[in-house]
Amino acid sequence: MRNCDDIRGRLTLYLDNELQGEERATVEAHLAKCESCAAVFTRELNFLNTIRESGPLHVASPELRNRVEQILRIEPAHAPRFRFTWLVAVAAGLLVLLLPVLVWRLVRHKEPAPVTQAGNFALMAVDTHLRHMRGQLPLETESANPREISDWFVNKVNFSVQLPNYQESSGQEKLYTLEGARLVSYGNQYAAYVAYRMKERPISLVITSDSVAKPSGGEQIASKGLKFHYNAIDGLKVITWSDRGLTYALVSDLEERGQQSCIVCHEGTKDQDFIEPLKPH
Amino acid sequence: MLRSKRATMDILLNNLGFEALEHLDALFGYALALTRDLTEAEDLVQETYLRATTASHRPDADSNLKGWLFVIMRNAWLNQVRHKNNGPRFVELETGEEAVDDTQENPHVVYLRKLEREQVREAIESLPDAYREIVVLRDIEGFTYQEIATVLDCPAGTVMSRLGRARGKLRKLLSGWQTRARIRAV
Repeated sequence: MRNCDDIRGRLTLYLDNELQGEERATVEAHLAKCESCAAVFTRELNFLNTIRESGPLHVASPELRNRVEQILRIEPAHAPRFRFTWLVAVAAGLLVLLLPVLVWRLVRHKEPAPVTQAGNFALMAVDTHLRHMRGQLPLETESANPREISDWFVNKVNFSVQLPNYQESSGQEKLYTLEGARLVSYGNQYAAYVAYRMKERPISLVITSDSVAKPSGGEQIASKGLKFHYNAIDGLKVITWSDRGLTYALVSDLEERGQQSCIVCHEGTKDQDFIEPLKPH
Repeated sequence: MLRSKRATMDILLNNLGFEALEHLDALFGYALALTRDLTEAEDLVQETYLRATTASHRPDADSNLKGWLFVIMRNAWLNQVRHKNNGPRFVELETGEEAVDDTQENPHVVYLRKLEREQVREAIESLPDAYREIVVLRDIEGFTYQEIATVLDCPAGTVMSRLGRARGKLRKLLSGWQTRARIRAV
């Protein structure tokens, strides 16, 4: 059995949970038998508890918390400010209309475009989509109104987001709904994340400046003067493209093949005749 | 197969997420312990998170994210101090100071239980820089000796001895204040 001086010299280590195994057991055994050392132990424990219970010493202000939250979403922006016209926004919104053209190119193309690894922006879009689905990226604003969502992005991103109400403008049935939006980070910039849902299945649209992200990899399909990159990542379909200073990524899990998503989207609409020949047979 | 697993992991690692945000108050408290200035502390917190988001090597999901952030903060602070003063402000306290036996003295410890939390906080904040820092790391944030050694980039033995002296100083401060309070009450 160790003497009291030895034990008391180890009390701090014991109280700091730095003793393990036999050493710890030795101290405990001594304290159980020695009233004098037990008193010292109790006194020391009370002292440490007094200190430890004084924490936390400080709480970050809401302003600091907001700034840190922004940092965690995005690193500081250094890229030049981009403005984009409503035509670009319409182009983003008209993706559903463009997809049949892509499908047509995919089906008819005798020599498929070379397939390469997915670009980082496509991967980020998929990751963002998955994190949103897991509840890790809740929407910061919820609305089914494209105008409200567009307005929400004002002064939050370095470009103008104008989501078109293309379902109404195209005269389609309302097969999908706009759910809301939030900011996400990519390459030292804020990116705009917009969530849609079609028949309980989520669709994600991510927008950023083309100085931050360039579509790359995957199958390349040229259509209407734009170059689309199609990837299948983790069972999700992601299409990325750039237009007028912005880069877009559209993610969904609609069908096994990416082109099937547009078929589902247009089925039963006035585009039916256009899409019907594109269905796999 | 179009997917690049490595690239996917890189993207995932680019998102520190909300786990890092959970340590904001702790980092802010440590920043105040280092800087003693509200504005500088807030700047240091932001610098820490910025460095974390741009770090090329990040801790695994199961490793010590909090400790990693504290290391980043201390390195960022040391870097700032070096730019300001050509060297850190900390005075080496390992020598030339009478060691305090934490377990042998302090008859007033029974009164400490009655001290207001604010009084303890003031006592901690009145400690010399190096003592305040190590008390914050161990007794407020609950880091182990080895984790503190990593943050401070010093041997674990140094942590142990410095912590002992810091607690001894804190004990004296609290006891002195309590004594003065009792005299005023009389």
